[in-house]
Amino acid sequence: MKLIIMGLVTGVLFGFLLQKATVLRYDRQLGALRLKDMTIVKFMLSAVSVSMVGIYLLHDMGMVDLSIKTTILGANIIGAILFGLGWGLLGYCPGTSLGALGEGRYDALWGIIGMVFGAAVFTRAYPYLTETVYTWGNYGKVTLPSALGINHWPVIAVFLIAAVLLFGFFERMKL
Amino acid sequence: MFTQRQWSPYLAGALTGIVIIASVLIAGQYFGASTSFVRAAGMVEKLFSPERVAQMDYYVRVAPRMDWQWFFVLGILLGSFAAAKAGGTFKWQAVPDMWRARFGNTPVKRAVTAFAGGAVAMFGARMADG
Repeated sequence: MKLIIMGLVTGVLFGFLLQKATVLRYDRQLGALRLKDMTIVKFMLSAVSVSMVGIYLLHDMGMVDLSIKTTILGANIIGAILFGLGWGLLGYCPGTSLGALGEGRYDALWGIIGMVFGAAVFTRAYPYLTETVYTWGNYGKVTLPSALGINHWPVIAVFLIAAVLLFGFFERMKL
Repeated sequence: MFTQRQWSPYLAGALTGIVIIASVLIAGQYFGASTSFVRAAGMVEKLFSPERVAQMDYYVRVAPRMDWQWFFVLGILLGSFAAAKAGGTFKWQAVPDMWRARFGNTPVKRAVTAFAGGAVAMFGARMADG
């Protein structure tokens, strides 16, 4: 029960911030995919930069666990291509589709129904996928620091510097 | 501030980063959304054939029930609604502006494209475990 209330409160905060940043809009998402409007990239990279530092600090202090996904090249690459294709058609991603509906863009509702349908289709394909794409290039739970064999802080520093340079570039180009 | 139409994406993004850190620290939960669509699909299917759903591998792995993430996704809808109302940017719209500029006022075409795009995107997101 407590976990459910925390989920709802966290979602409300996130939905509020997404809406204020105007990143829920179809025009913003297509604008990013067409390399004409980097508002979403600014929002995402800012969130990732802040949370990356905070979570690794807490992890170093032994206060939180990381949640590292398995790298399977076959499933990751083919899945990502399909995701990108669908995202470009829909113009919302799974989380933002609910937010778009919340601000009255009810074309998102068709996307939400389509995503529930796509999830049901996936459950049928899953037994076949486990014998094919999920066996192609399984590297286990790797991270950039573990693959490079170095501490995570140099990787984080490089990421933050790259993000700031990219932000500067976006502002100069008025993207 | 709440009544402003929009905030800087850098500020809203940084604040989101803080919400993510708090969520991981307090609830032990990282942000995600697509798993909840599998749970929702399972809940719909259970209405028609509960025995079948109970036997399907993926619905065993991702059980059709409401968990932290399910309410998180629902919260996004409510938070967005509150922000849009507070800032005066709520607008009922069947066809986005950019779509209208390119394809005209074509709500049926938009609905079909959104449905198909959603289905393909979700299939891909689940395959990549995103």
